[in-house]
Amino acid sequence: MASLTSSRDFSLSVADCPLIQIEGWDGTLRQFEKSVSASLGTKLPASVGETVRHKGLLIIRIAPRRLWLVLDEGTQAPALSVDPDLGCSVPLGEGRVRLKMAGPDIARLLSGCITVDWHAPAAAPGRAVQTSFHHVSVLFLRTGEAACELIVPRSFARSLSDWIADG
Amino acid sequence: MSSNRKRLPVGGRISREVPLDFTFDGRKLIGYRGDTLASALLANGVTLVGRSFKYHRPRGIFSAGPEEPNALVTLGIAGRREPNLPATTLELANSMDVESQNRWPSLAFDVQSVNGLLAPFLSAGFYYKTFMGPTRRAWMFYEHFIRKAAGLGRAGTGPDPDRYEVRHAFADVAIVGGGPAGLSAARAAAAAGARVALIEQDFLLGGQLLAEPSDSAAAAWLRQAEAELKGFETVVLMKRTTAFGSYDGNVIGLVEQRDPTGPKPNGEARQTVTMLRARSIVFATGAIERPMVFSNNDRPGVLLASAARTYLNRFAVLPGKKIIVATTNDGAWRTAFDYAAAGAEVTVADLRAVPPAALAAEAARLGVMIRAGTRIVDLHGGHAVRHVTLNGPEGQSSAACDLVCVSGGWSPTVHLTSHLGVKPVYRDDIGGFVPGAFPAGRLGAGAMIGAYATADAIEDGHRAGIDAAASGGKSAPVPAPAKLDLGDTATTLLREAPSVGHGKAFVDFQMDVTTRDIELAHREGYESVEHLKRYTTLGMGTDQGKTSNFPALAAMAALRNATIPETGVTTFRPPYTPVAIGALAGRAIGHHFKPIRRTPMHDWHMANGAEMLEVGLWMRPYFYRQSGHDVNEAYVAEMRNVRQAAGLMDISTLGKIDVQGPDAAIFLDRVYANGFAKLAVGRARYGVMLRDDGIVFDDGTTTRLAENRFFMTTSTAKAADVLSRLEFLLDTAWPDLRVAVTSVSDEWAAMSVAGPNSRAILNAAFPALDVSDAALSHMGLLESGWGGRALRILRLSYSGERAYEVYTGATAGEQLWSRLLEAGRPFDLKPYGVEALGALRVEKSHVAGPEIDGRTTLDDLGLGRMAGKRSGFVGDVLRRRPALRAPNRQRLVGLECIEDGKRLRGGAILFLPDEKPYGHGRGRITSVTFSPERGHYVGLALLAGDVAAEGSEVVAVYPMKAETVRARIVSPVFLDPQGERLHG
Amino acid sequence: MLRIECPCCGPRDHDEFRYGGDASVTRPAHDDPDPEAWYRYVYIRTNPAGPHREYWQHVTGCRQWLVVERDTRNHAVASVDFARKSTLRKSPA
Repeated sequence: MASLTSSRDFSLSVADCPLIQIEGWDGTLRQFEKSVSASLGTKLPASVGETVRHKGLLIIRIAPRRLWLVLDEGTQAPALSVDPDLGCSVPLGEGRVRLKMAGPDIARLLSGCITVDWHAPAAAPGRAVQTSFHHVSVLFLRTGEAACELIVPRSFARSLSDWIADG
Repeated sequence: MSSNRKRLPVGGRISREVPLDFTFDGRKLIGYRGDTLASALLANGVTLVGRSFKYHRPRGIFSAGPEEPNALVTLGIAGRREPNLPATTLELANSMDVESQNRWPSLAFDVQSVNGLLAPFLSAGFYYKTFMGPTRRAWMFYEHFIRKAAGLGRAGTGPDPDRYEVRHAFADVAIVGGGPAGLSAARAAAAAGARVALIEQDFLLGGQLLAEPSDSAAAAWLRQAEAELKGFETVVLMKRTTAFGSYDGNVIGLVEQRDPTGPKPNGEARQTVTMLRARSIVFATGAIERPMVFSNNDRPGVLLASAARTYLNRFAVLPGKKIIVATTNDGAWRTAFDYAAAGAEVTVADLRAVPPAALAAEAARLGVMIRAGTRIVDLHGGHAVRHVTLNGPEGQSSAACDLVCVSGGWSPTVHLTSHLGVKPVYRDDIGGFVPGAFPAGRLGAGAMIGAYATADAIEDGHRAGIDAAASGGKSAPVPAPAKLDLGDTATTLLREAPSVGHGKAFVDFQMDVTTRDIELAHREGYESVEHLKRYTTLGMGTDQGKTSNFPALAAMAALRNATIPETGVTTFRPPYTPVAIGALAGRAIGHHFKPIRRTPMHDWHMANGAEMLEVGLWMRPYFYRQSGHDVNEAYVAEMRNVRQAAGLMDISTLGKIDVQGPDAAIFLDRVYANGFAKLAVGRARYGVMLRDDGIVFDDGTTTRLAENRFFMTTSTAKAADVLSRLEFLLDTAWPDLRVAVTSVSDEWAAMSVAGPNSRAILNAAFPALDVSDAALSHMGLLESGWGGRALRILRLSYSGERAYEVYTGATAGEQLWSRLLEAGRPFDLKPYGVEALGALRVEKSHVAGPEIDGRTTLDDLGLGRMAGKRSGFVGDVLRRRPALRAPNRQRLVGLECIEDGKRLRGGAILFLPDEKPYGHGRGRITSVTFSPERGHYVGLALLAGDVAAEGSEVVAVYPMKAETVRARIVSPVFLDPQGERLHG
Repeated sequence: MLRIECPCCGPRDHDEFRYGGDASVTRPAHDDPDPEAWYRYVYIRTNPAGPHREYWQHVTGCRQWLVVERDTRNHAVASVDFARKSTLRKSPA
């Protein structure tokens, strides 16, 4: 993890983002979820924007049939085999970067980046919001009262972190 | 002239202990904290502030708010120079440098005020007739004269050193306007449990309450209201913030000025645009007082009555001592009374024959003279008022005065609600337009819906605040608001028909539109308000006709002998007040103008001599400086090296899509014009997709990684469109297909090793891998690993040479790139850029963006064989339309330059040799390159099929450079037609 | 600014979406050989002044294709649904 900017009111750092995407087929979604749930040993987030934390793994529902499994740094990827008749998986960890932000000034800074209501229940700690940041698709993760992360495409990461740092 | 000679010793909402220095046209003046520029100028006795737009007439301060049509100034110097700012909305700050506008050589002596003599040229319809009529050419003659004469301030030309921001915000209830109605609405909504944003354009809350004396009951009410609001954690008070536009989805656009008197921390934005999304909006935007129309009503020393009262009570300025208050209604009498109490000699000229008795009694008590049934018809004076001509029951008379206060009634401020398409409707009882029916989630309160009396506005705001909160589900019980009765009444209004003397009588001060212009428009048949507006430019100034709209309507209604509602009202559009483009752009300027995409090898390119090129959002190496001193020299050297040894190219920008699922092969079979179902695992295939209308959409290679899994690549430019289209087909057309598509463009670093030495280089880089032709044949796949990383090698060629695409995880891209270069050193492996790549593909006739331009079909591009006899794929049916198969349809050909020392150019138009080069020609050149193999320029072109016989000649005309060159039609494959080099 | 309430992500600005055209036309089967049917699907539009069913993709969000019923006269959005006809879970928030 590399620190990009740090002051009393705000800090920004960047880290890799080990990540696996899984998706269930329409029609057999319940079986898919049951099998994934059993394989991971935890319940899955029920609706889009919900997250479930389990053993170094953050499970996020990013679309009705799509989940992201985000791994903490140093965590081994879960042994997960998806039945091709129920769904599929694709690793996305090389192509994403986590921008971690914290500090009392965070809500003001973020208001110049993304259109997310910091005070809304949908952005409460533990929630995830997919939105756009300077025309780029990003995933906003509210990690604490005054902390959040943005999971951004690697090719845009520097452009976007520069934007944040200039805020 | 002594400083602040018109300032009263006590009173007002200014801090006399905080003096502020400022300059006006270089003159050093002093104002106080709490002043606007306008109040400080008036306090200093400055009455002449600007010159008018067309006639250069002297103008002063007319209002005390954003409706100001006259007192426009330029603020700041060099890059900070900002023109056309109303002095009435500029909060005074230390060291402010202000200039007057549209005058030369000086404000007091303006040469072009002789424009008044040329007035016939500049009358209504001048622009209209000049631009639209048969005399359109006259514009050529007039332009110089007009541009010099007519105008506003000039912006600075240097870069603006200040910073601007755009932010996004949310609220349950947004309240626009911090007057009595808005304050009351904010308190009610907050008490009900809503998150509230209260927006006020002024630097003080209070609205019209600020015109009340600072020791009055109104002032006490205001202090209490503000304290109460500050007690709510859920209320954001946004002062110095103007709501400039109201948009769909309950979004309002706000622009906030930084406190100019406060500290200026480094980097704080001078202006911040906030897009505020609210569950409901309460518009409490108040009303704007109307002027009265009489001759020379534009002279300095004429003030709106409410503004005069604001200058007296809020700013402790007494701009005149002998005052005429001309009115049609009760409200202006309060100005008369306050000025009389402050020691001025006051006469009220009320148009009504019998003004209310209570007002007359108060006037008698204060020694105010009353002239009932009387109007001003003419005003005399140049840079200041000297006397007026009155016309009343006892005939015409002259009255000396140094200040004229006018009130032609009030117009509710319906601009923001009009932005949303809420049509204003006329209310005869108040003589003004109020918003029609509001859509859900939007409410009006106070004067803007006709509740003029303060007590009513407070009650009205309270109700609106409760309703607005309730519509967002917040309905905690709300205690009643504190009452405030100022005895102001719903105004009684007599609609005024203009009556004028000899001089010009202005309706629109800023655009210099007079009653005569309106008469002319009427005479020439431009009677509807929308025509009137365009014909006379009425309401088209930076003030958007805030004070002029209604008087103009009334004048036109009188001419047409129609009612006001019959005459109609124009539509208001954003912005309510001008917003600087810089503020709307915010941080998105310079390197932040758009986001930049960098490949995993970006830093290597930058450190190793690459000249970069923006390709869409991507940054790609254009060429490497070590290859040649300019692009033309470099690309030829780079392509030679590829053909003779080997080159390394960063192709990470290719769109990459993971396609998975039991039905993936069926899916690809339908989206590609050529078949994929039978593609063997471990093999790649070039594919072309069509649109539904049969035109080529995109191309790329797709590799079968496993029975149910494919790796698709798209062109760099179309990556997002292709993914979205695939998702569209899966979601809407074929939801029964079990297929997942995911962009993996960012996941993989990709590089192409091309050239006769490429296999040897791979061997050297990955000694453990078998890359022999037997193990990895053309269009084959090898999946492996290196140093614990994924490795995917595809044997594909874009250049026509033996070539391999090498993929690894994005985080290892630069490492792999360096490893390949290291391994390739003995084999002359050198990086090459997109210019060389483009040249290589032209030589091989591989089509790309310039040919796949959204107009060409498979047959046009010579790719018809790919589809063969297949059917059932996207675009198949409509590609068979007869028109797409016409013999003269343009199709892909090769061209070679046959004139020594000349070149072909992309975009050149093609004609037959004996044809006059006129019109669209027979086709056009799409891509060109110098071919080292051929020793001259070659190109791809789209040329009408009936003249495209190989061997015949065409003439390529490039009008931009006046170039004409002869070219021969040849096979588009300029190099190695048998494709032997692929295996070389 | 048009705001569209995505069935699974909540209300969002229109710039998070990609417009996909008229949703009231019926796409012929992929192997339908009838040029008339394809012609009607690709080119024939009623262009109503009033309620209009149209496709929008929540492209920077959940990437689902949606059918939005929008009044072309005032942008009022009457309904938003997933284009995919299945029992997808909607967000409770």
